[in-house]
Amino acid sequence: MSTVLSAFRIADERLTGAFDYAFRPADNPWRHLGALAFLCLVISVASGIIAYTLYNISVSGAYDSGLRLQNDPLLLGRLLRGLHRYAADAFMLLSVLHLVREAMRGHFRGVRWFSWLTGIPLLWMLWIAGITGLWLLWDARALFSLTATAEWLQALPLSADLLARNFLTPGALNDRFISLIVFIHIGMPLLLLAALWVHVQRVSLPRMWPPRALTAGSLVMLSVLALSLPAQSLGPVNTGRVAARLSLDWFYLFPHPLVDWLSASSVWLLAVLLTATLAILPWIRSPGSAARLLSRAARVDPANCNGCSRCAADCPFGAVVMIARTDDRHHPRQASVIDDLCAACGICVGACPSSTPFRRSEDIVSGIEMPDAPIAVLRRELQQKLGRLSGSEKIVVFACRSAANFASLADASTAVIPLECAAMLPPSFFDYATRMGATGAVIAGCREADCEYRLGDQWVRQRVAGVREPRVRPATRRDCIAVVWCGREIDGVRAAIATLRMGVRPNPVNTITTNTTEVQS
Amino acid sequence: MRTWSDSEAALAKALPAPVRYALQVLAYAAFAAVIGYFSTAPAYRQLADNEAVVKLSFSHAAQLKQVCRERSESELAKLAPNMRNKLDCPRERAVVSVELDMDDKPLYRIDTPPSGLSRDGAATVYRRLAIPAGRHKFSARLADGAGGTFDHRREASIDLVPGQVLVVDFLSGSGGFVFTHGKPP
Repeated sequence: MSTVLSAFRIADERLTGAFDYAFRPADNPWRHLGALAFLCLVISVASGIIAYTLYNISVSGAYDSGLRLQNDPLLLGRLLRGLHRYAADAFMLLSVLHLVREAMRGHFRGVRWFSWLTGIPLLWMLWIAGITGLWLLWDARALFSLTATAEWLQALPLSADLLARNFLTPGALNDRFISLIVFIHIGMPLLLLAALWVHVQRVSLPRMWPPRALTAGSLVMLSVLALSLPAQSLGPVNTGRVAARLSLDWFYLFPHPLVDWLSASSVWLLAVLLTATLAILPWIRSPGSAARLLSRAARVDPANCNGCSRCAADCPFGAVVMIARTDDRHHPRQASVIDDLCAACGICVGACPSSTPFRRSEDIVSGIEMPDAPIAVLRRELQQKLGRLSGSEKIVVFACRSAANFASLADASTAVIPLECAAMLPPSFFDYATRMGATGAVIAGCREADCEYRLGDQWVRQRVAGVREPRVRPATRRDCIAVVWCGREIDGVRAAIATLRMGVRPNPVNTITTNTTEVQS
Repeated sequence: MRTWSDSEAALAKALPAPVRYALQVLAYAAFAAVIGYFSTAPAYRQLADNEAVVKLSFSHAAQLKQVCRERSESELAKLAPNMRNKLDCPRERAVVSVELDMDDKPLYRIDTPPSGLSRDGAATVYRRLAIPAGRHKFSARLADGAGGTFDHRREASIDLVPGQVLVVDFLSGSGGFVFTHGKPP
């Protein structure tokens, strides 16, 4: 499984990189699939509220409601109906892509199990919300879908009644049935919003909204689509006729042809198997899984914790909370780690002001530590590796293990210090490294805006830029630091090392992004 | 001090702005094309052009499998005092058998057991069948007694145009089989 995931991850990185050519990394839509899906939900809900005020909840009036919007001479009805329909279609597509991407990146394991598991029912909910919307049009496609859904549901031994009999003759259809569909179509998105809230409960600073540029672009795209390709009703409901060929909205009506091609029970089996497989993914372990650098949750040392709360602010999964002190020190609060939420990324260690290598004690202990990689061990490793380097231009590479294996970069004058996440490195280590004789320091991590632990690259960038605590010390020679967001393409790091060796640049921090060899100057 | 926007600009420099904007428009257009296309296409063919549809569907409670009988005095004595009803009426209903022929050839046959844990509910059937359009002679028979004899029959010759639906229902209150078919266009 790990080999497959690794291949998927490489494919995902290449796709992400391809989008980076057109969009800025921070605006890359491939990185905002979940947020874009949420935007489409909001567009659907907003346009749906307006459409509801114009909708006639009756067998005789439902079809005409759709036609009225469709034929509005001012095109506003066409825009409204198209936005509602296409945003709903995009919502389904983006949600599936979001799931696929997170699966490709292995984001169903560890602490992410909760977000993964709570995301699965969302797909069912959005499918129900979408298909009921198509029924409300009360056209030939709605009757086909209602009948086909009833036939599919009848395969379940839930009720002795035959649901499909409700759609056999015109007399069987009544206004109360339309009211029932309206109730489901409005209720399900509300339930969906509540479920979405649960879905993001275990992540800090969830990106619910896409960047402004993407929001604007998506709105324009959907509006142009709505006006140029109007969403249209088919003919009115006629129980006495069946169209030989029917145009389907495949985003929501795909189960109907499947039932015809396979069978109702086979499609149920397929749906249950798919749902169950997705649900158990977080607990599937393969023998070939790559061993993590860190596996145990962070630990707080109250004696060294001054309750500054930076670790709590930086934790990407809300695993660090501030509590009342458990000792008699004068600081009112101290950090506390919720083990079940801790991803063991070490970002909290990088945020802790006591994680400085300049402390005189031989066995320094940070306010918050990773038991598998204490800060004292990190300092010792840096000292030893720097001590073994030869030559006049010694470079130390602090490399994110989640991005790639950077061990091949090590040579007689280059030391590589692996970290679970780039943001695990306290910024004072840059200064410490140069004082210990390093000509320059490189910090290498996942591709820009693609941190394995969500926020690591953001925190590194802000700490190095001096806008987030803990900052790189003002006295630190920033021209000796290169920050490289390269993912698996480690040639970017090689270029950074070569640039640092060429000599000190006149500008503060050399920043190299992804696979470009350009150095900011 | 270098900031985030600087690093973004580094990547932006890789391609000239007009090219990047053109690529963005292309990306949006490709996404819109996927949405626009699959929201209505490809058309799904549920019937051949020259086919009509027969829907056989009913929900019918068959006759009781056994008639009521009077309990003997010894049988009554064995029962609890509050259970001593003279009549013993088993609730189980008979299996409903239905046969639908088209042009004197079997189109569909089914034996449907009654629903419910005590098998005392209605027997239900729903079946959608595609048939060639044209004039056909339909013959429906239903047996709902313990003996399995077909007590209910109906025959009709109906002209069905392509896409037309014939509903074959069984309503005991309306005298048995009911053939409903939409008006041809």
